[in-house]
Amino acid sequence: MAAAGGAAAGVSKTYSFKVVLLGEGCVGKTSLVLRYCENKFNDKHITTLQASFLTKKLNIGGKRVNLAIWDTAGQERFHALGPIYYRDSNGAILVYDITDEDSFQKVKNWVKELRKMLGNEICLCIVGNKVDLEKERHVSIQEAEAYAESVGAKHYHTSAKQNKGIEELFLDLCKRMIETAQVDERAKGNGPSQSGAARRGVQIVDDDPQAQSAGGCCSG
Amino acid sequence: MNAGDVIPEGRLWRIADPQRIGPGAPSFALRRFSVCLGEIPKRAQLRSRKMSQKSERRAIHVDQSELLCKKGCGYYGNPAWHGFCSKCWREEYQKARQKQIQEDRELAERLQREEEAAYASSQGAQGGQSSLTFSKFEEKKSNEKTRKVTTVKKFFTGSSKNLPKKDIKEAKAPSPSINRQISVETDRASKEFIEFLKTYQKAGHDVYKQCKIFLEAMHLKKEYNIEEQSEFTQDFYQNTADKLQMNWKLSPDKVETAMDQIEKFLMTRLYKNVFCPEFTDDEKKDLAIQKRIRALHWVTLQMLCVPVNEVIPEVSDLVVKAITDIIEMDSKRIPRDKLTCITQCSKNIFNAIKITKDEPASADDFLPTLIYIVLKANPPRLQSNIQYITRFCNPSRLMTGEDGYYFTNLCCAIAFIEKLDAHSLNLSEEEFSRYMSGQASPKKQDSDSWQEDACPGVKQMHRNMDLLSQLSERQERIANGARQLEKDLIDWTDEVSRGVQDIVQKYPLHIQNPSQALAAIDSENIEDDRLPPPLQPQVYAG
Repeated sequence: MAAAGGAAAGVSKTYSFKVVLLGEGCVGKTSLVLRYCENKFNDKHITTLQASFLTKKLNIGGKRVNLAIWDTAGQERFHALGPIYYRDSNGAILVYDITDEDSFQKVKNWVKELRKMLGNEICLCIVGNKVDLEKERHVSIQEAEAYAESVGAKHYHTSAKQNKGIEELFLDLCKRMIETAQVDERAKGNGPSQSGAARRGVQIVDDDPQAQSAGGCCSG
Repeated sequence: MNAGDVIPEGRLWRIADPQRIGPGAPSFALRRFSVCLGEIPKRAQLRSRKMSQKSERRAIHVDQSELLCKKGCGYYGNPAWHGFCSKCWREEYQKARQKQIQEDRELAERLQREEEAAYASSQGAQGGQSSLTFSKFEEKKSNEKTRKVTTVKKFFTGSSKNLPKKDIKEAKAPSPSINRQISVETDRASKEFIEFLKTYQKAGHDVYKQCKIFLEAMHLKKEYNIEEQSEFTQDFYQNTADKLQMNWKLSPDKVETAMDQIEKFLMTRLYKNVFCPEFTDDEKKDLAIQKRIRALHWVTLQMLCVPVNEVIPEVSDLVVKAITDIIEMDSKRIPRDKLTCITQCSKNIFNAIKITKDEPASADDFLPTLIYIVLKANPPRLQSNIQYITRFCNPSRLMTGEDGYYFTNLCCAIAFIEKLDAHSLNLSEEEFSRYMSGQASPKKQDSDSWQEDACPGVKQMHRNMDLLSQLSERQERIANGARQLEKDLIDWTDEVSRGVQDIVQKYPLHIQNPSQALAAIDSENIEDDRLPPPLQPQVYAG
């Protein structure tokens, strides 16, 4: 959060946001982000070497935004490492597969953990991917949307294959992050040194509580 | 061999042999000497002995008193022992040493007594006997410590003569000048920095001034907690960046390059003091992770589900490059250079994955591979480097950029390695503990893909050798088969002919002559003999 505040204090009003992609393996995180940044799906001509760290420059209502999208390893065995990834992030995109009930359960776990660790500072998006496989849907729309609302997150339906809903998802997320950043800025005042101190406050605290929580979420 | 040769040689032998030698020794020695020269003919030997005896007599005549021990014990002396024999010399020497030790002890005791008296008088009545002795003990301990430290220091600085001088200078001037601790690298760094700042004109001048102040302040904080130092540095980065942007109205790009240069300049200077400082437990952590990685040497690609196929030569090259990059990180001084090493390592990993899978690597692929690389590389001072980067890298780089992402992944890899258990490798508890204790090695089971940590050439060779042995085995089998076939064929013909014979024997073919048969019929009539002979034509004289 403070990263955005610090950057925003500059003359040019460029926001830098960090967004983490969370979700089980095989729900299509990588496809989603590749579709967004390269507009390609399962394509042999993808120019990028990797799809784990991608950046995108946006201009939203005259405000410049640098978006850094961090992919995370979705395998169960790496779950405990989550806190290292999502610290200092401004937004989180939690992806599940609409044909896979378990992946939605996993999203719920992530939400719980994120709210516990980062509070309301982080903008959450819950994304049901693979809507092109509507016939095999196992997660009901009502349930998912109701859940998203209950935890203060927004719910989206996307299809990386058909390029549905992805642009909207990221645009919406950016707008929300800008809002949060502005609120934050006003609350903190404009003193740059103050924001600097706050930033480090976040940075130093991170190690121990995270370790504890990692253990906690593992056992839970 | 003349007399002049023999005597010195005889003496030499005596000097060389530390055994005590009696008065009869010289002749014995000579005898031994001549025995040594066993090849000399007997007569010549005799002559030489006679000659040497003669010369010996002459030598004794001159040197008798000198050769014997000075103490007059009757044994021979030795110039190396100041003319004493070995036993007397030892006694003399011990005596002198004892005396010296005694003197030293007396001096020490006197000094201590004086010190005690002075201490007691200064402490007055408040210090009891027990506390006094304890403090003395403490004092002694600290004395010992300082002495040790100085000797160690001497040991290290002894090679270059100008270093101690600098120490003195440092001690003399507690407010450090910026030119302190000159080394080639820092010197070059500051020159470059000054050159660079010239392009920023006034802002550059201001930055330089600020940096100088900062360095002096950091020097004063030398003994502080490392977190405080880190915070101070981070504050400085933040303030300088803000100032460049607000006061000097520089573009963000320019601010970024300036910040990079500032970091480079400051950290080349501070590196020595803030990298793995003695007062933190960084070193302990380094050793712990190193030990841990060593214990995990048996972890295979398959266990981590690494999507990299090392059999492809290009991929294994990239893996080796990645390992080299991560190891190289330790040799860099500036946090940003260290980050560059991590990034380079990650790029090589991505390439390896891309070649293997032919699609862009996702985090699902990347993290396991990075863990594998870290396990293979066991980079030196890993935790120290991580801590150093976290504490002193420019935060904007660490938090948002691509470098930051790879750094975060490295932190994740380390965290994973530290907490790794049977479950995270899809092994049973039993297997895991067996591998950890070294009782079993998984390499043997899937040796095909693992073949030691050999280079691809060796691996290829192993594979070829396997193929060759398989081939020869198959050839053997074919040859056996052929032999069998041959044998079968022979057996078959034998069998056929035997069968034919059997049948021929069983059913012998008698082609009987019909006339013979008749005769036989006749012959069977034994009674025939008794028959009267057939009528004979009788000749009648007629």
